[in-house]
Amino acid sequence: MLLALLASPFIANQAVAAKAFADTKVVLQISDPNPFKQTLVLNVASNLVKAYGQDSVDVEIVAFGPGLRLLFAENANKGRISSLAGAGVKFSACANTTRNMGKKLGHPPALNSNAVTVDAGVVRIIDLVKKGYTLVKP
Amino acid sequence: MKNFKKVALIATCTAMLGGAVMTTANAANWLMLQGTERDGQGPRAKIWGFIQPEYQSTSDTKIAAGPWAGQKAIFNQMRPDLKAAEGFNVLRARIGVRGIAMPLDSNVNYFLLAEFGNNGITRQGNGNVRVTDASVTLNHVKGARLRIGTFKTPGSEEGLQAIHVFDYINFTGATNGLLLERFFNGDGSGTTVIPGAPPTFINSGDANRPNGPVGAFRDTGIQIFDTFKNGSWEHSYAAMIGNGNGITRGENDDNQETYLYWSSELVYGGKGGRREGLKLYAWNQKGKRTLTTEGAGVYDRDRSGLGLTFRKGKHRAAFEYITADGMIFNGTDGGAVPGSPSTAGGGAVTASFNVATTGEADGMYVHYGYAINNNWEVDVRYDEYNRLTNSTAGERKFETVTLGAQYFFNKKSRLIVNYELRDAEAPNLPAGANPNLILAGMDDRLSLQILTIF
Repeated sequence: MLLALLASPFIANQAVAAKAFADTKVVLQISDPNPFKQTLVLNVASNLVKAYGQDSVDVEIVAFGPGLRLLFAENANKGRISSLAGAGVKFSACANTTRNMGKKLGHPPALNSNAVTVDAGVVRIIDLVKKGYTLVKP
Repeated sequence: MKNFKKVALIATCTAMLGGAVMTTANAANWLMLQGTERDGQGPRAKIWGFIQPEYQSTSDTKIAAGPWAGQKAIFNQMRPDLKAAEGFNVLRARIGVRGIAMPLDSNVNYFLLAEFGNNGITRQGNGNVRVTDASVTLNHVKGARLRIGTFKTPGSEEGLQAIHVFDYINFTGATNGLLLERFFNGDGSGTTVIPGAPPTFINSGDANRPNGPVGAFRDTGIQIFDTFKNGSWEHSYAAMIGNGNGITRGENDDNQETYLYWSSELVYGGKGGRREGLKLYAWNQKGKRTLTTEGAGVYDRDRSGLGLTFRKGKHRAAFEYITADGMIFNGTDGGAVPGSPSTAGGGAVTASFNVATTGEADGMYVHYGYAINNNWEVDVRYDEYNRLTNSTAGERKFETVTLGAQYFFNKKSRLIVNYELRDAEAPNLPAGANPNLILAGMDDRLSLQILTIF
């Protein structure tokens, strides 16, 4: 299973390219099991895009731990995720969480096609913060 | 720093607004609302419930004629105790838990709900608390979800909808008489009342009370169901096999109940139990009932209905037509409270509940509501119930106009005030016949209820 994950074309630390000309950069953390937080983090992302404009803000949602359920393929919010992805919002899924959930499920969870797998969600957040992103955990 | 403050402000505002928006957790599609959890979002265990304290009052007009003349009329008493015409009651007090046992796997969810209030569920039989719902849903096959256990059966909107979004306090006559099933061991024929003659009896002490909780629009069995979206339309189906024995009972006669349901809804927008849309639906319920005492035998019981609901902007409306064949709940002898000794005949005869095992009936209701603003809504409902349409002497016609107002303290709590203008008659009998004299004493009813859901 580990090999399968490593072989995934989605895995890459820098797979999520930043918007070159965005002057506002925000990383949103979703790691909470509370399902309401899923809606909330999407609402925040949507409001950021509306407030700054699609080309002026770089928003990335990083999901790990129980929050990874947001990026399950059949999540009830998949329509909103698709819409936000179309507006330039990026979605990162933690590979460590995916692997651990796979052990519990007996198979890797199917992820939303808009999600890009990163090695570790928390590392991804720290890297983005170092690059000047503002961390928001709704 | 300026951008950081703006981002913080947006996040804070979103959190505040999100809290309000997300309180609407229901869906007008009751099959999905009650039987499933949102994919990837269901909680492991969400505790929820609602409380409905109420006050009801009639003028307590007594029985005008017949063997129980001068005594309390059952239709003017408060349910479920039937002892007083005015008073307070905690009609429903329910608490439940629902969710996805293993949150990673949305394919299995559960629903558990118990009743602590004072009503036909808890009052009949032994025990004060009843489990009304206990089910597990398997969502592995899209298009053919399975729900197993005890839960609301696919059927009439008035019964299937979540009670905490019900715009009125009391059910319509047809729903109360035909769908809110009382389960009896006998048909009540031990006491026979023929207008103009002394009552006769076989067993003078038998009030033929229900043998347990009312059905509460629920059954224990297995249901296959799902919803299909096509543009703005949402089509749903359900087929179920159950015991036909309500709640807290197992099978008793090897006769299973079948339920069929279809709905098509044009969704205008929104979500939750008050989602805007136009829904058309039809349903059928068919089975048999076995009586073991008076009138012992196996009898067909068939119910069907079709209707629509509408909600858009400030307007709400609903219509439903219901037909019934067999096992018609037929009130009580002389309109008396069951167990009451007759006034005539030396008090030797006890009034009992009755069931017309081969009777037929139908009924309908029309509802319109208007939301004046976020706090106030006014409602009006007309309902008609024609009981025993296949019996010239036994037919009864009930008509009720309900005037209602709702004041929403917030999205979770409201005050409901209803005034019911109630009329009933035996349409095929002379105005001076005892049944018509008795039914003329049916009072209007005032009801007030506070409803809060948590």
